[in-house]
Parts: sequence; structure tokens; C-alpha cells
Amino acid sequence: MRKLSRSWWQGLFVIATVAATIVVTLISLRDFQREVVPPENRPIQSQIAGYVSSNACRACHPGNYASWHASFHRTMTQVATPQCLPPDMDKLELAFNGREYKAERRGDKFFVRTRPESGSYGEPQQVVLVTGSHNLQILWLDTGEGRTLQQFPFGYIVAEKMWAPVTETFLIPPNVKEYYSTGAWNGACMDCHVTQGQSRFVAGNKWDSQVAEFGIACEACHSEGREHMERNRNPFRRFKIHLTTKSDPTVTNPASLKGLESGLACGQCHSVWAFNGMADKIEFNRHGAAFRPGAGDLSQRFVVQPNAPDHTEQKDFIRRTEPDFFHNRFWGDGMIRVTGREFNGVQASPCFRGGEFSCISCHEMHLDSPGQTDAKTWARTAQLKPKMDSDSACLQCHKDMTARLVAHTHHSAESSGSRCYNCHMPRTTFGLLRAMRSHQVSSPNVHESIAYGRPNACNLCHLDQTLGWAAQHLHAWYNQPVPELSEDDRTIAAAVQWILKGDAGQRALIAWGIGWESAQKIAGRDWLYPYLIYTLTDSYAAVRFDAWKSLRTLPGFSDFSFTYTAPDQTLGEAATRAYKKWLGEVRNVNAVYRRETAIDSDGRVRQDVFQRLRSARDEKPIFLAE
Amino acid sequence: MSRASKHALPGAQLADRNLRFGWWSLLVFLSLGAVLETLHGFKIGWYVDVGNETRRLMFTLAHAHGTLLALVNIAAGLTARFVERFALRSSVSIALIWAAILLPAGFFLGGIVIYDGDPGLGVWLVPIGAALLFYGIARIALDLSRRNQGR
Repeated sequence: MRKLSRSWWQGLFVIATVAATIVVTLISLRDFQREVVPPENRPIQSQIAGYVSSNACRACHPGNYASWHASFHRTMTQVATPQCLPPDMDKLELAFNGREYKAERRGDKFFVRTRPESGSYGEPQQVVLVTGSHNLQILWLDTGEGRTLQQFPFGYIVAEKMWAPVTETFLIPPNVKEYYSTGAWNGACMDCHVTQGQSRFVAGNKWDSQVAEFGIACEACHSEGREHMERNRNPFRRFKIHLTTKSDPTVTNPASLKGLESGLACGQCHSVWAFNGMADKIEFNRHGAAFRPGAGDLSQRFVVQPNAPDHTEQKDFIRRTEPDFFHNRFWGDGMIRVTGREFNGVQASPCFRGGEFSCISCHEMHLDSPGQTDAKTWARTAQLKPKMDSDSACLQCHKDMTARLVAHTHHSAESSGSRCYNCHMPRTTFGLLRAMRSHQVSSPNVHESIAYGRPNACNLCHLDQTLGWAAQHLHAWYNQPVPELSEDDRTIAAAVQWILKGDAGQRALIAWGIGWESAQKIAGRDWLYPYLIYTLTDSYAAVRFDAWKSLRTLPGFSDFSFTYTAPDQTLGEAATRAYKKWLGEVRNVNAVYRRETAIDSDGRVRQDVFQRLRSARDEKPIFLAE
Repeated sequence: MSRASKHALPGAQLADRNLRFGWWSLLVFLSLGAVLETLHGFKIGWYVDVGNETRRLMFTLAHAHGTLLALVNIAAGLTARFVERFALRSSVSIALIWAAILLPAGFFLGGIVIYDGDPGLGVWLVPIGAALLFYGIARIALDLSRRNQGR
């Protein structure tokens, strides 16, 4: 046999190597294609209109991509993976409303089985999506009906590392055990929790929902990016834009807009909005929002301001078909009372009338400002611009106030009473189990408390003072008229009235507000215990939660354990345990109680006042639709 | 063979020039590397922040190209010195030197001012430098090949 030459062997080696590389590439390609086949049991990301997704934006805008990636907008909705689901999901066993739930893990997928009362566990449902990441996480299950989702009835409270029935993570009447029906995510939640979602109703309760991107991504605020991306492949075009001050007309930059146009980029979701009509609703669900950031109105929708003169026909329709719609979202004077809808407040603020003021006066969606903190802190502090958690926010415009701060506030310059936010943006909105600052800039007045029940800024800090006391000071300092006051308004601390006879919304705000350090410093702590301990048995879970959280801020109770979702009897036992602890171990025997607090000299609540106020409690069911 | 002109330097001097330039250039761009390492070491945001990714890339490219082209100049000088019947053309010598200046300078200047994912205007020096480099390398390759053919 003829001996093969060395070059022949070399040639054979090269051919074999090339052939092997081709085979491996083809195998990889086949696997890659197999992976991108979209799942059929959940909403999917798909090619929608000119939307290209954040991956396309990343190459040219790495810094903005990084800050967005650090934000909680990105994780508003995520495909369920072990990385984004709460820890120890596979060990989860929960029971609620007569049903038991058990989770199990198969690879990187999680499933939930449900056992009805006196039944056996049913078929596993896959956990397919997760809403939220830093406050509350809500899980969504497949239903076997196309891309229709069903809510897992428990939510995970991130800060407390605990599971709670979703209905007990909202301020919802206690008799409401299940809120989200099957398909609610497709029909409602996805309107705002994804980028350019299309609900795509099929029939019955079946949906074929698709999104441009899960979470709130670049194009939610900058509008669809295909044209921008394609036209800017041309480097000469890019440099022309870089070297001139002209903005790129192929994309919207809300940061360069002002007033309404800027605000609506956020307000398209952060507002109470409604459809103009049924045709718009159908169009919206089928094709997604027609609104594009930069526009001056929401197109198929409108921002619902109860007292504004626009859209009267639509608002009348809402009043007829959903009588509690306004009550569950607004105070009686039209001020928003739920969180997440901040644009309603911004738009109704006097500052907004100037045409410059908008969300980005204080917040920024990317780490643009010099002196900005690290991305993690920024994301956790509402994406505020530097120093915007201080008076600097208001002093941007009200520059003259610096010189006459004390004359204006009648509080010492260092006092919490001299902080703009505390008086003009008090915590009168509620959501995610806590009170949050109103975004409607206003001046404190007692009339708002008398007429609409909204705690005023003075008494949210001076918890131990009466409405009459606040009214007198506001009259003396700002010449405000003193409203007509009841005997209780003149003699009983406003906070005591609100927590005993207020509606659930007021009770929640005060239960949270008592834990506010500034208020405790001003109003004292000794008298707060009995009220918080009593509120541990409130009929509304959200109120109990905040009472517990506030109780833990008081000396002696920092490690007090309490399950706010427990049955009534257990709640009562916990309150008794807390009361005994306070009376026997914690109570300051030398404490002096102001008469307005309705606490006797021995530290006990005056029963005559307590019983009278408690029996007068406003029991109207409240569901704060945050 | 390089064409003779009354301003042209003799072949040996051209080779020396590229050698000298190459070694000094190597010193400059190795020093730049040390500066970049220092920026990394102290985590200077202007260089390492994610938002300055383009600057970091541009400076890294300036460092890499400067160092590599310094070595190319040294290689060209040594080739002209030690390969028989081969001399650097004057135009090639100049092209390699300017390529070694314009390419890294373009990247470096492009990184001083950046526009998100785009470098600054200075980056337009890069294609000019690249063209000179292409000419210089191609010319050397051709001249070396022809030298062998003429044997």
C-alpha cells in the first residue's frame, strides 16, 4: 500500500475539522431554534408594531440600559424563573379560604397543586409569570386555556419575607376573599405591567395575550424604536444629531419634555384612567395602546379627575355602572387617595399649572444627574434626583422660601415642621400596605379633615393634638377660616378619632403614621401603645399590618411577633399578649398623658371615650383600588 | 525597492526611523496601559461606569492599537534591516508611523467625549489611520514577494 504523504494528511485534517465544525454549528442551531419556540401556556413576547425591545437599545445606550436594568420598572413583570421567584418556593404549603396549596419544582419550573375542601390535590398548574419584585410579588398560573392566567391567591411580601393572601395585601373589605378572577391579568393587569401589551381576547375566558416586552422597558417611555434604530444605523446621521442641539424626531425623550407631555409618559400608567368608550377598549385590548409618549392625551383613554370638567359623559357612566369607583380611589374633594396613581395628584397640583412641572422635576428614570447615588439606592428611593428627598425639590422654583423659611413655617428651621414635604405632600395615599406621600401639592387645612376625612398634615405629625388646635394655628398663621368643629374635634386628639371611628382608609393611614419617627418625637410615644395594640384586631388586614409595623417602632416591641393574617381568635390572643407585655414590662409608670389622648393617668384608655368613638366607627366597606 | 527621490532618506535611515518611533511609541502606549489600569484600580467612574462603556472601549482600543502598531513599526524596521534585498519605501515608512499615530489617537480622542454608544468626533481619525496601515502592510508584503520572485 502506498504511503500517504504528509501534506495529504494535513489536508485530510483540515477537511475533517471544517466538517466537524459545520456539524456542531448545525446541531447548536437546531437546539437554538427549539428553545425559541414560544410557550403556549402563557403570554409571550412577540413582534409588535415597531417595538424592538430593550436588547436592541442596549448596544447604543449602555448607560441608560444599565440604569433601567437596575430599576424596578424592569422587573414589574417577569417570566417565572428560580431567580425571580420568592425563595424556597418548592417547599411552599399554604392554606386559605378552605383550600390548600402545595408548590413543587421540576427543573427550573415551578408548579402549584390546589386541594379544595374535602377533596384531593388537582392537576399541577405552572407558575408562569411574576408581578413585582421589591415590595410585593404576585404569581400567575397557567390555566390550560391558551395564554389565560389565573392568580395564585398568595402574594409574597418581600420586606417581611412572608406569604399572605393577596386580598390581605390590599386594603380590601374583610369579606372579600378572592379579588382577581381568572383572566384578570390578561384583561386588566397587563395594560400597565408590560410594555405595549395586547390582551387579544379570543372567546369565553380565553386570551392570546402578547407583549412587546415583559416589564416596563425602554419603549414604554420612549415609544417604539424600530425607525429610530434603523435610521440611526447611519453614523453620519448620528453624528449630525450629536453635534447639533436638535432632538431626534424618531424617538421620544420624556426628559426633554415638560408639563403634560412629559407627565403623561408616566401618567399613562401612574394615573387612574378610563377608556373613552367601548370601541376604544376593544381596540386597546386587541392592538395595545394607541398612546405614544410625547403626546398630550392618552388617545383611547383619559385621566380620570373627578372634579375636572372633561369627559363628563364617561364619568357619569362610571358613576352609574360602578358606584364605588370614585370613593375607592379619591377623597371627597377629588384628591387621589391610592398609590401608584401619582399623575392624578401631579396634574391637580397648583405647580402643574405653570406648564413646566412634571414627574421629572423630582424623579429621573436614568442616572443622569451629577452626584447621583448608586443605582441600587436610586432604585430603592423612588428614582429621585439627588437631594429631591429634601426641601431642594420645592426650592427649585420657590427660591425665595429659603430666606423666609421660619417665617413661613412657624417651626424652627431644623424641625420636621419646616420640611416642605411634610406639610405640602403629607402621607394621605395608601397602597402596598403603607401610607405614601400625596403627589398633589397642597396646603394643610382642617376643612379637608372635617369635610372629606383626609388626615391633615398638622395632625399627621401632631398626633396628640385636636383638629381645633390645628385650626387655631392655621388661622393665626395663615388666616385660614376656622371650620365648624364638634366637641370631639375640640377635645379629642385627631389621631385618636381617626383610629377609633375613622373608616378603614383613615385607620390605615394613622396606623402607619403612628410609626413615623418625626410624629413620635413631636407627639410622644407613651400614649400610642394601647391604640396600636387595639388596632392589631382591626377587621381590615392592611390596618392590622400597619399597626403591627408601627408597634414594632416603639420601645420594647421591636421583636414583637404577630401574624396579621391569622384568624380572629389568634389576633385577639396576640393583642392580649401585647397588652400584657406593655402593661407589665414596657409601660412608663412616670409618663404624663395629655387629656386629648384620652388616656388616663394610669396609662389606660378612657373607656367612655373609647366606647363612644368605637361605636361611631365608619364601617362603610372600603377597597382602595391601588 | 523604494523609489529614489531627492528628499527620501536612505533605506537604513528609514528603518532606523521606524525602529526609533516604534520603541518610543511602545513606551507611550504601555504607559497609557498603566494609566488605564490605575483608572480601573481606583474605580474611576468616568472610566469604569457602565454608562461610560464606550469610553472604556475607546481607551482600551487606543492602548491596544498603539501598542500593536508600535510593534509593527519595530517589525518593519527590523525587516528592512535584516532581510536582504529589501528596503522600506519612504511612503511606507511614513504610512506606518502615521497609522501608529492616527489609529490610537482616533480611538483615544473618540473616548474623551462620548454620546451614549457613540464615540466622539475624534474617532474619524481611525479610518484614515487604518487606510495608511493597510497601505503600509500591503506594500511591504508585495515588496517582499517581488523580491523573492526576482531571485
